[in-house]
Amino acid sequence: MKNIDQQLVLQIAFFTFASITIGGAVYLLFTRNVLYAAFSLLVTLLGVAGLYVFAGADFLAVSQIMIYVGGILILMIFGIMLTNKKKEQQKSDQLNKILVSHHNRFWAAIVAVLLFLGFLKVVFAANFQLVGKEIHQGTTVQKIGIELMTNYVFAFEIIGLLLLAALIGAAYVAKKEKI
Amino acid sequence: MYPILVLSITGIITLFLGFLKSKKVLLPATLFFVTLAFFANLYDWNKPGLYFNNMLQVNNFTILLSAVILLSAFLIIALTKGFIDDEHAQPAEYFAILQFSLVGAIMMTGFQNLIMLFIGVEILSVSMYVLTGSDKRNLRGNEAALKYFLMGSFATGIMLFGIAMLYGANYSFNIDAARTVVTQMVSTQHSSVYLYVGVTFLLIGLLFKVSAAPFHFWTPDVYEGAPTIFTTFMSTIVKTAGFAAIYRILEVSFSPIYSFWWVMVIIMTVLSLIISNVTAVSQGSFKRMLAFSSVSHAGYMLMAVVGLSNKSDDSIVFYSLAYSLATISAFGVLMAVSKEKLVDGRPDESIAVLNGLSKRNPFLAFILAISMLSLAGIPLTAGFWGKFYVFSDAAFRGHIWLLVVAILMSAVGIYYYFKPIIAAYMRESEGEAISLTPFYKIILGITTFGSILLGLFPDLLRSLM
Repeated sequence: MKNIDQQLVLQIAFFTFASITIGGAVYLLFTRNVLYAAFSLLVTLLGVAGLYVFAGADFLAVSQIMIYVGGILILMIFGIMLTNKKKEQQKSDQLNKILVSHHNRFWAAIVAVLLFLGFLKVVFAANFQLVGKEIHQGTTVQKIGIELMTNYVFAFEIIGLLLLAALIGAAYVAKKEKI
Repeated sequence: MYPILVLSITGIITLFLGFLKSKKVLLPATLFFVTLAFFANLYDWNKPGLYFNNMLQVNNFTILLSAVILLSAFLIIALTKGFIDDEHAQPAEYFAILQFSLVGAIMMTGFQNLIMLFIGVEILSVSMYVLTGSDKRNLRGNEAALKYFLMGSFATGIMLFGIAMLYGANYSFNIDAARTVVTQMVSTQHSSVYLYVGVTFLLIGLLFKVSAAPFHFWTPDVYEGAPTIFTTFMSTIVKTAGFAAIYRILEVSFSPIYSFWWVMVIIMTVLSLIISNVTAVSQGSFKRMLAFSSVSHAGYMLMAVVGLSNKSDDSIVFYSLAYSLATISAFGVLMAVSKEKLVDGRPDESIAVLNGLSKRNPFLAFILAISMLSLAGIPLTAGFWGKFYVFSDAAFRGHIWLLVVAILMSAVGIYYYFKPIIAAYMRESEGEAISLTPFYKIILGITTFGSILLGLFPDLLRSLM
């Protein structure tokens, strides 16, 4: 009896996260307001983070929240708020609308349908199976940390070089120059 | 392995040298650093091995490709003249970023792990995005940088997706481990969708970086918008490194499933050859013409990949060296000539600017002629042997119709490669005589001498391998 209850709770939690993810994505597709779209993306990304927790990937879930929700999305919202300025004073009761349009509907539809079919094929071909044994308890963070400092330490160091190059580049491009 | 360490450290040193009042020390210092890396690279000759927990591989093939990359880098950096002429330039930053990008390029030749491939591609690409837009007062340069950045990051995303899929299929990022899994799959007739999707997406990402058709749309605009010196860097070093990566991943990991990917690669080869050569004919700008020519050379180099014979690695090394030498000479001549005449405050980069070059500076006209002949693949230049080797690779697999297309397109190529030569020798001169610094002359002399030497004695390089 207790076992069934646990299963039921798991099911409910899973479908809650799944519906949050899908609901946010669908709203993102149909809304015409960019700011609302960014917020619905936030909901979707949070839902995906929840799904990662279900898959036992706790580190991935935390990185998902930190990078996408904490970093990229905030940047996006800042971008929308700072760029969407009209010349005349904008009234606060107006909607922040940005016109988005695409001309190549035919090709876009073909590409989208083909890609969707491709993904569908991969999903159906994938050999999904429930893990029989209990997923190991505890955190994966420690293991990842040790791997990063032993087997992958060279990659870790070289990423520092990549960040340095990006930093110099960003500083150079952003620097104000007398014309 | 050593050049990666050397260049990582010297890049940071170069940044600190930027604090000095005098900017004159930067050029000799950078040239010295690159030379140091070149000899550090040769130190591992005939000492193959794996380094850093199977992250990097060193063998004679990777050493030779790194040598080609470092030699081209030396010549290009020497042609910058230390950016003394340009008061807005920031030589310390440029040289530091160039050295970091070389680290990325060398990692792309020697990766043993797909993580290293990805980081290498990223270091090289990020550096190139910055250098493309380094002339901030040039609107076209800004546009080119933005275009390159947006499309490049999209391609990187696709490549990363492919790498993730390959991990799903192989349970490892190691390319040798991937080969074991792929061989097993072939022998048990068991196929994994992830593997095929992964290979395709990885190839798309890498082919974008080397600007093979149909992923070449960014090339003409970016090559034209970027400062010429960085265009040279892009069209030689990025291409060499990219082809090293494509060849190594296909040869080491995926040669057992040749039957899967050869169709894809051969289609891209034919598209690159036809689209680029036909479009290059109608270009009025010399820089744009060279951009399309670089797409066509990507097509020729893909023929060596399609061939995948036991000589393909030699062909890729030879072709990249021949192509790099000729391209550096061509852009070197363009830089010297175009700054003489300004159009809208920008150097004039049309083919017409070369009119009467043989009277204004016979030396430059000669350099230009040799480089164009080498790019067109006329005998007695290095380009001829480069084409000969990649054609024989393609013939090895019996793709005769591909050879027919390639030879026809070389004939088209001769037409547009002769346009600058005709302009230089047959047309009336307009400007005054062009004077060059001795150092610039020596560097252009070296590239041209290299093209002729390799054209007369191709075995000099082939015997090394």
